[in-house]
Amino acid sequence: MFLLETLIKTALVIAGLMTAAAYLVLLERWMAAWIQDRLGPNRVGIPLTRIRLFGLGQPLADGVKFFFKEEFTPSHVDKLLYFLGPAVMFTAAVAIFAVVPFGSVLPSEFGLEGMSRPIELVVAPGVDVAVLYVFAAGSIAVYGALLSGWASNNKYSMYGGLRGAAQLISYELPLGLGLVGVVLASGSLRLDVIIAQQAQSGAWNVALQPLGFLVFFVAGFAESGRLPFDLPETEQELVGGYHTEYSGVKLLLILVSEFLHMIVASFLIVILFFGGWHLWGVTGSGQEVTWPIALARVVVLLGKVLLTILFFMLARWSWPRFRFDQLMALAWKVILPLGMVNLVVLVVWVEYGAKMAAALGISNIAAMAAFGWGVFAASAAVVVWLVPGEPDNRPRRGPAWQLGPTDEEETPQ
Amino acid sequence: MKPDDPRVRWIDEPELGPLGRVYVPLATEGLATTLRHLFGRKKTVQSPEERYVSPAPLIYRGVHRLNRDSQGRVKCVACFLCATACPAHCIDIVAAESPWPDRDKYPESFTIDELRCIYCGMCEEACPVDAIELTSLYDLSGKSREEMIFDKEKLLAVYDMTKDAEPMRTAGVPEPRRKEDGP
Amino acid sequence: MIGSIEVVSIATVAGAIALGLLVPSPRHGARARALGVVAGAASLGLFGSQLPGWGGWLAGGVVSVVSVVTLVAAVGTISSRNPIHAALWFGLVLLGTAGLFLVAGAQFLAVATVSVYAGAILVTFLFVLMLAQPEGRAPYDRASTEPLVASAAGAVMVGILSVALGSALSGPAVEAMAARGAAARAEAIDGGSPLVHFGRELFGRHLIAVEVAGVLLFVALVGAVAIAAHVRERGGNLEVADREPQMNTDEHR
Repeated sequence: MFLLETLIKTALVIAGLMTAAAYLVLLERWMAAWIQDRLGPNRVGIPLTRIRLFGLGQPLADGVKFFFKEEFTPSHVDKLLYFLGPAVMFTAAVAIFAVVPFGSVLPSEFGLEGMSRPIELVVAPGVDVAVLYVFAAGSIAVYGALLSGWASNNKYSMYGGLRGAAQLISYELPLGLGLVGVVLASGSLRLDVIIAQQAQSGAWNVALQPLGFLVFFVAGFAESGRLPFDLPETEQELVGGYHTEYSGVKLLLILVSEFLHMIVASFLIVILFFGGWHLWGVTGSGQEVTWPIALARVVVLLGKVLLTILFFMLARWSWPRFRFDQLMALAWKVILPLGMVNLVVLVVWVEYGAKMAAALGISNIAAMAAFGWGVFAASAAVVVWLVPGEPDNRPRRGPAWQLGPTDEEETPQ
Repeated sequence: MKPDDPRVRWIDEPELGPLGRVYVPLATEGLATTLRHLFGRKKTVQSPEERYVSPAPLIYRGVHRLNRDSQGRVKCVACFLCATACPAHCIDIVAAESPWPDRDKYPESFTIDELRCIYCGMCEEACPVDAIELTSLYDLSGKSREEMIFDKEKLLAVYDMTKDAEPMRTAGVPEPRRKEDGP
Repeated sequence: MIGSIEVVSIATVAGAIALGLLVPSPRHGARARALGVVAGAASLGLFGSQLPGWGGWLAGGVVSVVSVVTLVAAVGTISSRNPIHAALWFGLVLLGTAGLFLVAGAQFLAVATVSVYAGAILVTFLFVLMLAQPEGRAPYDRASTEPLVASAAGAVMVGILSVALGSALSGPAVEAMAARGAAARAEAIDGGSPLVHFGRELFGRHLIAVEVAGVLLFVALVGAVAIAAHVRERGGNLEVADREPQMNTDEHR
């Protein structure tokens, strides 16, 4: 029975992920178009008819195109590793979702024979080290970039692969540090326990540990390799980075795994810092659920994830890309120390916080939030004080910046 | 202007303020810009259904046309200046004795290979009698290479088609003095 | 439980021959390597025939598959001519080891193996290999120094360990181990936390060992920084100082 349950959930998750990835590509293209004052794909609808459906048939067309494109293998590649790269990348990206919950639990009256507990909406329930597992699978994903970059036997691909590996390894440390704070506060490495703990107290971790959130958020962006951290595949410098030499289905695998990384990062951000399936007054907070509440939890969780993904896509067009040395400096000189500060502060809080709050006569949550934001402000001040000044080279208008008679020429018509 | 010219004002860029160093206002500025455009008016023209109308047809460089004079004759005098100026060598002219008294030559055939043309407008610049002009027709297409080689009749037909929407650049200017009127 | 000493001895000899033929050497051609693969497969099969059953059919199947993959990958690691392929084979060994840990119910150990060894250390290896030696042409990659002695010693050790462990872990003991692994997995599924036990053990009974290891790593880190700073101070270049004279035997032939 357990096997059957797991198989059903696996099938559901994989099918859902593939569909989601396809439609997120469409969403990404729409966002790109809208931000650039264009309309985006709006033609493809139901095949063989003239019905357009706002372009919702586009993913189908894209998929067909990918499958029927020529599958070209350059003669100079390391054949085995060339095939292995995308496969490893895709496998690792999908494997992460084994421990990522996509809801809470189903009501306990629904269950198969011989089930002792309600069905949890996660492929592998009760993985005690879920958070670490995510890390392990994520670190396997590095091999995908590294292998495809090296096997392509092309200097741009190689640079892309090396950059990808260096970036992922560097940002794994702050990612872990940001996460350890949450783990310390909730006392478990299980994602469902972390959500339940936030739901119980009603205060999301983002309000209690703003510094940890910042560290995790930046590192999560970098781990998913999205702009402003898409150094491994900068089109302008490296053609396509490690997937320059790929085409057809193998390229599809690489692109889909990149989207899966973004989805994983969004799930983790939501689960660890934004309360997972919890929303005040809608989803309740207990373990016993009815059907409407179980569904509401799924919807709330997926809605939050969608919002996070939208932010990822918005950020892509809002901020310019970092240079590689800036990326590394940010990781090792700013984000990593901030993560360590966060960790030390939380250790102190876990040890003495409750006593202090009791002594001051305020609630534990309020004290923790105040403490967290105080530390956040202090670290921001230290960063301002220590970071060397940069010239402010934004375009500006104003008397000091206009050279007399050329005023009119600069104003757009 | 030399760097030590007294009229040059040298200005140091200001450093980022405390808020700028934590990237907050800069990041917000970027997000605000993209958000504004996200919900702003779109500029796409839905091409087959809506037609793009050039705001300045006179400076648009589309398909060529051969202009006619007031009597409906081709204006070209077969001077070969356009063919000489053409960087893509896409203009082919066969000149012949003019049947009309006001000019020596006229083009017996005038062919432009629209596939070779790079639409630079040099022919238009070179023409002394404003006989060749580039219209604002941008969606030129054909089913074969031969179809895309425009002969004199086709180019004159383009003129007939576009003369109302895009009058000749010299419309209203009196036609130049003819040889027989000369000194 | 190991059935017979004779079978294990034959398996050991076959393993030694396989390793000796498989390790990189300029004298071994494709035929020798094919022979090595056959001998290795025979050795694996003989060892496998002597293994006791492990848990149910599912756990037993997983154990067998993962063990075979791990062993084959281990042979691949030492027999591969291309250093990058060798590193990747080693990655597979680590994944296999993690899988075996997982079957035995040690979730934390499995995940830590993958994320620390495969995710960080091996990637750094690969990084250096790709940057320093994209072709893998160095002579020390193309021939092992002591193929006969090394493979014989390795195989003999595997044989002795098999016999020793086999006689120590007779049927009931193996059954008990499998049962413990299954219990740990079942406990995890039911919401218990083997991780808590692990943490208690690590920071309770073995606290001193953990601290000593930590201090050792810290000293090593400081030492590495000191050496790097020292080299830079003398105007030297780490890369140049470490590079060995290149003897490109292939191209002189």
